Parts: sequence; C-alpha cells; structure tokens
Amino acid sequence: MATTTARPSAFPSPFAIDAVDGCEGWQEMYPYYAVFDERRRDTDENRFWFWNSMHFPFPMPAFDVICIDSPYQAVGSWQNRVFAVPPAMGIDYRIVNGYVYISGNPVTDPEKIAERAEFFQARAGYYYANWSELYGKWQRKMERLIAELGELQVPELPEYEADEVAYDGERNTAFYEVLDAYGRVLRLGDLMWQHHFEFLLLGYGAHATFAEFCKSHLPDIPDQHIAQMVAGIDVLLFKPDSELRRLAALAIETGVDGAFASDRTPAEIDAELAKSESGRAWLAELEQVKDPWFNMATGDGLYHYYRNWIDDPRIPYASLTAHIEALRGGTSLERPTAEIALERERLAQEYGALLDDGARGPFEELLALARTVFPYVEEHKFYCDYWFLTRWWNKIREFGALLTLHGFLEESEDIFQLTRHEVSTALDELVLTWATGGVALGPKHWPPIVVERKRRLERLAAWTPPPAIGATPDVVTDPMTIMLWGVTTERVQEWASHKDGGLVLNGAAASPGLVEGIARVISSVDGITEVQEGEILVCGSTSPAWAPIFPKVRATVTDIGGVMSHAAIVCREYKLPAVVGTGRATAVIRTGQRIRVDGSTGVVTVLES
Amino acid sequence: MSIAAGADYARALSELSSADESSFGGKSAALGELLAAGVRVPPGFALSRQAFRLAREQRAMPQVVREEITLRYAALEELTGLREPPVAVRSSAVGEDSATATFAGQQETVLWLRGVDPICLAVQVCWDSLYSVEAVRYREHMGVDQEPAMGVAIQLMVDAAVSGVLFTCNPLSGDPSMVAINASWGLGSAVVGGEVTPDDYLISKVTREVVRERLGAKTIEYVPDASLPGVALRDVPAERATARCLDEHALTALLDVARVAERHFGCHQDVEWAIARTGAPPENVFVVQSRPVTTVAPPAPVTPVSAISLVMARFGVGKPGTGD
Repeated sequence: MATTTARPSAFPSPFAIDAVDGCEGWQEMYPYYAVFDERRRDTDENRFWFWNSMHFPFPMPAFDVICIDSPYQAVGSWQNRVFAVPPAMGIDYRIVNGYVYISGNPVTDPEKIAERAEFFQARAGYYYANWSELYGKWQRKMERLIAELGELQVPELPEYEADEVAYDGERNTAFYEVLDAYGRVLRLGDLMWQHHFEFLLLGYGAHATFAEFCKSHLPDIPDQHIAQMVAGIDVLLFKPDSELRRLAALAIETGVDGAFASDRTPAEIDAELAKSESGRAWLAELEQVKDPWFNMATGDGLYHYYRNWIDDPRIPYASLTAHIEALRGGTSLERPTAEIALERERLAQEYGALLDDGARGPFEELLALARTVFPYVEEHKFYCDYWFLTRWWNKIREFGALLTLHGFLEESEDIFQLTRHEVSTALDELVLTWATGGVALGPKHWPPIVVERKRRLERLAAWTPPPAIGATPDVVTDPMTIMLWGVTTERVQEWASHKDGGLVLNGAAASPGLVEGIARVISSVDGITEVQEGEILVCGSTSPAWAPIFPKVRATVTDIGGVMSHAAIVCREYKLPAVVGTGRATAVIRTGQRIRVDGSTGVVTVLES
Repeated sequence: MSIAAGADYARALSELSSADESSFGGKSAALGELLAAGVRVPPGFALSRQAFRLAREQRAMPQVVREEITLRYAALEELTGLREPPVAVRSSAVGEDSATATFAGQQETVLWLRGVDPICLAVQVCWDSLYSVEAVRYREHMGVDQEPAMGVAIQLMVDAAVSGVLFTCNPLSGDPSMVAINASWGLGSAVVGGEVTPDDYLISKVTREVVRERLGAKTIEYVPDASLPGVALRDVPAERATARCLDEHALTALLDVARVAERHFGCHQDVEWAIARTGAPPENVFVVQSRPVTTVAPPAPVTPVSAISLVMARFGVGKPGTGD
C-alpha cells in the first residue's frame, strides 16, 4: 500500500503510545488479535497506520468491534480472494486506546501481481459488463435479508415449555432456540457486510476513474461538476428528505402545522396532533412513510448508538419543523429534478465538446460507466448501513433485554459493553441455568465489567488520536486507501508537517466556495440538534444521514474523507463549501471559534480562538 | 487627396481579414477578424508594409501615407464628434503574433496621442523599432532571414477604468474549459508590462462560475495625462489597490468575448482588453488585440484507450511490472 524508507518517522510508534490515564488495561475489551502486540512488533512497527476516523470516530464499545471484523473480512474477501485486485490484498486493523487504525496489505511480487491481474480482468470485467442486472439481483438479495432479519424471533425462556414442544416431536426447546437465534443474527450481519462490499470496490473504482480522467484533461474542473454529471436524479438517498418535504406541505394544507413548535419534543408534537381528526390523519400518513424511508440512521451507522429515525425521531421532526417554517416563508421546497437533469446533460455535452477528439470517446464511455455504477455507490448505504444495520442493532438489543430480564445486565443497552463472544458465553450460562434451575453467576459477573468499560470509554472519548502512527510512507499507492479514505501521499505529508498543530488545516477541496463563520464541532449524534442556523459544521466525517442538517449550515469541514464520499456528494448537492480529510479538524477547532473555509483550495483557517 | 492607384497603404480595421496578415501584420488582421466576429474593437485603421517600404525608400514619412493618416483620423473625429480624439499607435509586424513566435516586446505601442503630427511621429517610432538592437538580435536568434516589414494599427483609445489580459484556456494547466483573466486598474500597460500583481480570475466556460480568484496588489495605474500627450503613472490608494476590480457582469462579458474569439480563430487566444469608464458591460468591454496562445501547457497525451482499460489501470492492471 505504501512504501517507506528507514528514517525516523514523523508519526509516533504504535508501541510508544501510552494508555490514556485511568484506562490502563483497555485492551481487555478487544480480541487478542485487535491490538498492537510485542509478538508482532517487527512488522507492525514498520507499517503505516492511519486512524479510520471516517468509520470509527469514537472509541469502540466491545460489541461494536463486530463492525470492524465483519467489514474487513468482507472487503478483504472480495478485494483479495474474489476479484484479486492486483497490487492490494485486504486491510488490517489495530485498536489503540479504543480507536481503530488501519493499514492495507500490498502485493509487491511482480509475478503475483500479473497472476492476480488475470483474475481481476476477467472477474471485474464480468461485473462491469453485467452491472445493472447484477445490481438488480443485489437489491432483491438485500430486501430478502432485511425481511429475514425482521422475521427473526428472539425466544423467551418460559417457566414451562409449550405443549407443542412436548407433543410435536419436531419442536426445539428454548435453550437451543436462543443459541440458534443468536448465532443466526450474527450470521445475518456477516451476510449484510458481504453484500455491502460486493460492488463497492468496482463501483468506486469506475467512478474514480472517470473523475481522474476529467481532472487530467480538464485540470481545473470543479469536483462538483464531475459529481453533477454522474449523480442520479431520483436516487434513494434523497427520498427520505423528499418525503419529509411532502409531509411538511401536507401539514400546512390540512392545517395541523401549528403542532410543530420548535420547543416541542417529537412526543409532544405527536400528542398535539392526536387531539384532532386531521392531526390523526397526518400521523397515519407518517406511519405509511416510515417503512422504509425512516430507516435512515442518525449517524454513519457503524455504532450501535446510531438509531434510525423511527427510534429517534428528533432529526426528522426538526427537519419537518424547518420545512414547515420555510414553506410558510414562501420558499419552495421542490427539488427541481427536471432542471437538475437538464443541467447534468448540458455539462456532459459541453465538457465533451471542449475535449480533444481523442479524449472525447473515453470521456463519454467512462461517464456512461460511472452513471451505470452510481446507483449502487449511492444506494448501498441506505440498504446496508442504515436500513439493515439500525434494525440489526435492535435485534441485538432484544438479546440485551433477555439478559436484563434474568439479571445478567442492568439494562438492555449494556449488551454493547460485552464482546459478541462474551454475549455468547453469557447466553450459554443463561440457558444452562434456566435449564438446570441452578444459580447463575452472570448477574454477579457481568454488571461490574459493564460499569468499568463504560467508565473507560468515557475517558477514552476525550483522547485525540494522532491521524497516523508507525512508519511515514514515501508514497501511498494503495488504490483503496486513496479512493475510499482520501489518504494520498500529499495528505500524509500534510499530516506529517502539521504534527505540532497550527491554525491552518489542509484538506481536500470537496465543494467550492469561501465562507467565514462560527464553528460547531459535532462528535456525537446528540450534537446534531445543537447546530444553529448559519454555523459551520466540523465533524469526523460527514454523512448523508445528516442531510436534514445541511440546509442549516454554511460549510462543512471533516477530519477524513475524499471528494468521493457520499457525504461530499450531499454537500455539493446543497452547494455548501466543504473541506474534507483535514486529519484533525475536530481536534484543533472548538465550537464557537470563527473559521474560514475555502472549499475551492481545501484550506481551513482558524481566525480567532 | 488622392491615393496612388494599386497602392494599398491603409485600410479601416473593419476592412481587414486574416488574408491581409502578410500586408498589414498579424495584429491588424486579427482586429479585423474580431470585428467580423462581432467583438467590440475600438475603431481605427491600419498601415500596410507598403507604407513602411515607401518610408524606408524615402527615409521619411511619405506624403501619401501622411495624407492617408490625416484622412482617416478625420473620419475618427467625425465618428466620435471629438476634436483630435486620443488614439493608440501599435506596431503590427508582419510575421508577428503567429502561433510560433510572438516577437513579444520587440515593438512599440504608444498610447493616448492627439493630432496628426504626434501620430505620424509614433508611426515612425513603430517603424524604427524593427531595427532596434533587440529586434535584430531576436530575428537572428529565431532564424528569420526574410526582409523585415512592419504594419501599424491606429485605434481610438479606450479610457479604461480596468484593463488586462485574458486567455481562452488556463495557460498554466492547459484546461480548455477555463478562461483565465488578469485585470488591473487603468490602462493595460500595467498588466502587460508586469508592473502590478493583477487580480487573477479563473472562470468556467461551462457554468460561468468563478472557479478561483486571487486579488492582487494593484498599487499603480496608468491614466491619461491631462496636461500632456501620453499617459501618466500614479499610485493607487491602498484600499483600492487590493479591491476586486471586476464584477460579475464584467467577468461574464469577458467570458463571452473569450468564447467568441476562440471559436472564431479556432485556437486558444491571448486577448488584451479594456473596460471603458463610461457605459456598462458588455457595451463598454473592448478588445485591443488578440493572438494565438503560444505558451499553453500541452494537453495530456491522448493514446487510443478504452474506458474499461482505464478503470483496470486504476486497480493496478497493466502497470509496469505486471506483465500486461
């Protein structure tokens, strides 16, 4: 992924980072293989690792480690074992003080690369040639998977088994059913991650190739124009917000918009609506919309605490309130899809016409391919990260409720403080003692562990991880690191040169424009509702799930991410200046500071402290 | 006044086309082309190489040429309704402004002249510049062995509030979808002569948005000298020096000029322009010269490739050492 030379690194050694004060022994929360270990020091110390703050901006709760293992099992399987991307195998991860660092495994042997190229050309070629058909299959596969997850029952442990168990001969007892259901829910998660990555590399690769082609032949083309030429018009990800706009208009039409006062909670709004006939009609309409459109996550989905809009309606209700206010103020909320479609074609034609004859052909072909793959690039996140994952966490919560009922946990959320293997162990003991009628040790064993881990995570959350550790690479060549995380040679050099901190941050120019304003640093989902009109959003990584917030902010700055991230796409749609991949914006910038964001040059300046 | 039969000493700019380049020089011919394309060019006339030859033979301003100047300057007086309107006199060397050589800075431009006598003197200065030490050396260096010849363009002055240069592509990156504009206060000599750091704008031809802008320190400006012929140099107050000198309307008008010029000539152009103090864009936006861009970065080499092979290369297929 990256070649390094033997000289002092600009980044700290992973073995030189001390445990955060009061968090000594944090490693016990994680699998033995997930930490830097002396027995692997020779290789690990000489590799370049960067903090994957795009997917893991917060210290990992023990259970959530499954969202590191599964995705990297899946992405490596497709990249390394199915498509055999010639120069890159999979991605290794290590946890430091609760934070996830990653490093790609390169293929360096030219013969091996040539051998892999044969596989890659045949297999990736097949996917590109049959993309739409394969993607159609994929969507049905995902819908079946989500349906199966919904049907999966977490059994109870009854005082006496039902008659059917006694007389039927075909039915299993609850001990088996509980263990089977838990095993099945874990496997369904693995399946989702497998599907998630089936198209991801190839989709991003085709899109990135088009973007790169544009930039080599039209060096000054704004990223936004590239995105506009490719982006779909009627994509799934815009659907939740467009449903909210429709509901806002309906509220005004039916005269129930008075219920949406900004100082009311969603429950208070619901209570107000329930008082009138037309209010109840509006609520019924809302119920129709919820499945599937409220399966948006309040965050990027990889942590258990990102709920969907059904479970945490604060974001959609805040949006509804804002939309109603805008409509009352005479603002049209209609997305001008016809105009967007026309502009998309006009841009493609004009840029095509400006190119040399030799470049026009590849430009048009690459654009067509990028448009073919783009529905997956945009939509997989809704199916996988939001719709499936938020429901999957809820299924885990049901096991949490079962363990709580039997005294193993104080509350069902505590299940996320145990590793998935510890949950398996706890369930083993639970069904054993349920069966034997013996005294369970679990209620004495698990709660103190949960308390200690919660305390640790809270302290670890205050730590600022360095953007990179280990060896400093001379060049970053791994196509995935560049495409998915925006970690390029230049970015690494910027991180290395800014290690002492400073008032100027460099990142990727993701959406053009220059603004100054007050920063709002958001590190958790609760912060979203704190964002005030006209502030500049500063966060680990932007996410399309935060869409309702974008009409409010003036610009966006993130720690990590490339111009290809879903986030950047939404930012451009809203015409907000954005600088992504600064490495340390959330560490350097504080809420309330005045900052300048230049989305055209990728520079963020802290103007006053 | 009579003009010798068959002699073609002078013509209105509007009567010139690229076919006249060999007699009137590239600059004058290009101005004729721009007028034909509908671009606003200050009215004026041009002197041919025949006028120059005659002057060499007579070792003085030939009477017949002086008569042409007098006649045509009078037409400009009539056109403007002004007595002795100010004009610029610029050399238009034959072979100059071609795509391969610029002869840049080798010839003269004299601004803000009023009356036939000063104009004739300035024309003489332009002719003489062909034999300056620098010009002779330049021709030797470039291997130009044909007998040099010089045309001259005489145009009404634009009393410019702002002036500058534009390229119909980004000359640094070679991006053909961009128009690059440098602009500064006053007459154009400040930008052309590199005496100020101009405002620097990059504008998308496709969406007309300003993709990048860097405001310069435009600390001086050239303005007409009230008391004397010619121009005066004056300091620009600090506040105005760093202020943006082109608004959205002016930028749009210049973008349109760029697109017309590029389309008309069929290649990228380096255009000198001026925006008059009176009027509003686009009516007060004038082009004073246009020539092919000679310094643009070469476009990325285009070898026939399929889209899929580019995608494969992105994943490391077909890179050196892969055996493909």
